[in-house]
Amino acid sequence: MVRLIIFLIFSAWAIISAVGVITFTNPIYVILWLLSALIAIAGIFFTAGAELVGALQLLIYAVAIAVFYVFVLTAVPWEKAVKKSSHYRMEGVLSLPLVLLLYLEMAIVFFLGITASPEGKIRAFIEKFGNTEVVGSVLFTKYFFAFEVVSLVLLIGMIGAVLIGRKESQTYEDDTT
Amino acid sequence: MKTIPLEAFFIVSMILFGLGVLGLIARRNLITVLMSLELALNAVNVAFVGADYHLGLVEGQIFALFIIALAAAEAAVGLGIIIAIFRYRYVESTDEITDMRG
Repeated sequence: MVRLIIFLIFSAWAIISAVGVITFTNPIYVILWLLSALIAIAGIFFTAGAELVGALQLLIYAVAIAVFYVFVLTAVPWEKAVKKSSHYRMEGVLSLPLVLLLYLEMAIVFFLGITASPEGKIRAFIEKFGNTEVVGSVLFTKYFFAFEVVSLVLLIGMIGAVLIGRKESQTYEDDTT
Repeated sequence: MKTIPLEAFFIVSMILFGLGVLGLIARRNLITVLMSLELALNAVNVAFVGADYHLGLVEGQIFALFIIALAAAEAAVGLGIIIAIFRYRYVESTDEITDMRG
């Protein structure tokens, strides 16, 4: 019962922060609301007994990725950009029927899945060894190939980010002159 | 033992994912569009971990770890693309980038 109350508190916190993410206009306030939402979601993970995922959520998302966004926000001279009158795209309302259809499909899949899935028992060895050890042992035995592929994807993403984001020695405008 | 129903996790996940998609469609600023995308990815993680808590498995948590790693790669590449676009065009809105529109 205490666990349910804590879950509801973290859920309300996450949803309020998500509303803040999509309504505020200043990007610094948006990254602060996103940080709040990430911490609340990490709390949801801890409540559900997934300690390793919650800790990595705090380490990778709430520290690394949020600081990376703040670096980009402070390093780029946004005041040179062409300003628009509105921060929101009101013609996006036209896509609302399609989005509602997608949402309805998600709801149907979720609740059919709930009725089809049996209430499973917690495996005995999870209770014996704890969450982190079980996740690590399954990750490094059954899903080892997927783990290696993810490391390759991270390497390719890093190389791609360096190649895309570096400063060209001469730009295309210089080539035409 | 289990006090949180699976429906609670899925409802929270659906609300967060809907807000993320709404931000993805309705925002103009490129960086806030990427932040809404991160919010949608986190909503998927909530659904994975909630299903794990219900079923007593660990596979969903492993896929949540993969999603976190792929979100880091996606943030690196996406912010690199945004910086490159800003360097050549001086735009911060999604409306000016229409070169590949059919």
